Amino acid sequence: MKNDEMLTRIKNSIVEGESEKTIEAVNEALKRGVDYKDILNRAIIKGAAEVGELYEQEEYFLADMLMTGDAINAAMNILKDSFLEISEGPPKGIILIGTVEGDVHDIGKALVASLLNGQAFDVIDLGSDVPPEIFVEKAKKLKPDVIGLSGLLTMSISKMHETILLLKKEGIPAKIIIGGGIVSKNSCAMIGADDCAKDGWVGIKKIKTLISNTKRG
Amino acid sequence: MPHDRTKSVIRFMKTLAGQVRGVDRVPFFAIIDEQFISRIMGITTREILSSPETYANCLIKTADFIKADTIQIPSAYAGPAEAYAFAEANSKMDSIQWYDYKPLAIKQGEVCKTEEDIEKLEIPEHSKIDLWDTTYKTANIIREKTKFPQGMGLGIWSVVQELRGINAFKDIRKNPDLLLKLCEKIYKSQLDSYNNWIEKVGESPIIMYTGYAFNKHMMSFKDAMKYEGQFIKRFQKEIKSPFFLHNCGTRPYFREACNEIDFIAVNGSHPLNIKYWIDFKKDFPKVTIMGANIDVSRELFTGTPQDVEEKVKENIINLAPGGRYIVSPICCLPWGVPIPNVLAIPEAIEKYGHYPIKGA
Repeated sequence: MKNDEMLTRIKNSIVEGESEKTIEAVNEALKRGVDYKDILNRAIIKGAAEVGELYEQEEYFLADMLMTGDAINAAMNILKDSFLEISEGPPKGIILIGTVEGDVHDIGKALVASLLNGQAFDVIDLGSDVPPEIFVEKAKKLKPDVIGLSGLLTMSISKMHETILLLKKEGIPAKIIIGGGIVSKNSCAMIGADDCAKDGWVGIKKIKTLISNTKRG
Repeated sequence: MPHDRTKSVIRFMKTLAGQVRGVDRVPFFAIIDEQFISRIMGITTREILSSPETYANCLIKTADFIKADTIQIPSAYAGPAEAYAFAEANSKMDSIQWYDYKPLAIKQGEVCKTEEDIEKLEIPEHSKIDLWDTTYKTANIIREKTKFPQGMGLGIWSVVQELRGINAFKDIRKNPDLLLKLCEKIYKSQLDSYNNWIEKVGESPIIMYTGYAFNKHMMSFKDAMKYEGQFIKRFQKEIKSPFFLHNCGTRPYFREACNEIDFIAVNGSHPLNIKYWIDFKKDFPKVTIMGANIDVSRELFTGTPQDVEEKVKENIINLAPGGRYIVSPICCLPWGVPIPNVLAIPEAIEKYGHYPIKGA
């Protein structure tokens, strides 16, 4: 099997969300000497983008995205085990993410964390019901490029606001994105966030943009 | 002036049923939960729920304060309270989190973390659950005091998410039979809850069906029918009261759902484009619209009373002529929403919502 065919096989298994097939295909490709950077860029990232397009076309849904996330993470675990350079090299960006205090919903946030982790971003998921002080403490320690505040409940907007005020008061320079069905451009501007996303996939795209703008700036 | 509840009952129930005669103005349906009650009454959630009398009084006073026509008990909604019942029946109360000024919540996915948890999941007996006992008693007090008929809430996927969390979505692809088994148990639990309601409160004149699966963010419509729709059809064989579909998601399947299932009304705030709702009214003339595009995270939260007035006016002049329209901000009123913005809703209804209404 040629390298291109092997990469296509990996990509397809990711698009289909078949973790076992992904593991098999990645191991096979590495065994045959395919460059891990090709696996990352031409199979994993390409597969994730294809899934995103299918989601936007309403052919794929949350379940498909999560299955893809699992497949990507399975692939990344193999690559990290095989090539220390990936884990030791600088990530594309560091993202601190969590559902704000008082809200225990984590589905959208988990999707963002899962898919970004698999694309060479370093994602630290603080979980749900995270107090503002914990966001600040972790941000000081980990120095993220972007902080993602997630929430589903209408009350979460107030807590997002409180968290942002504290992050700014403490001088955290990271860009802040808020996510969840409750957010809007207006509420985003009102509480001082840099951007907002109503669902996980939009969140991923906007986080990438925030990071590339930060790196350029 | 004291709130004339008799008029509220007439305008809400008649509008819901599509009757115009005898309705003086457009009704106002507000989803009032513990966070808003806490804010208005200045007491904690535990205090609100400490006795049926306190709970009922707090709800009535809060609804009166914002001049809402409806009074619905938040804990009768098929979300956290139903998850609470499952947690208690399965000795997993450590998954429940209480807060001072907001509704209790369950850590999503804790109760049904494993496949075995689903297989062994005990179906709650609502008569033995303290929170539900308080809910039934509160409903009775509210009905007696206000004459407002008390309706209950049902929902399958809203509870699936609480019990199984993110794994529920993976189950759609990996383990659909197991997921259906969970849905089936929730269905049986909800019937138990409903039967208790009948016994302790009386007929529910309307069922608020929280259909979270009917959202394009969540799943395909085919899957929504599999994990939610088929159960609604089964509920409707058992329960004769009309159902209205509540979905506070941003990409709801309202049209698709109304084509497949008999709903008396839809309750949502999206899509935001008013044209969608104008077309919906034309295509589904027998379905009452509750809400349309009055979203609590927009004008109500970030705007001014004038912005809210404009939004309510837009909805009324486009959707109320001919009846079958109820003003309803979606979803729960957030903690930080400016009170003058909330009060701008009944003021706008008073200004623009009296029949006959001249259309746009």
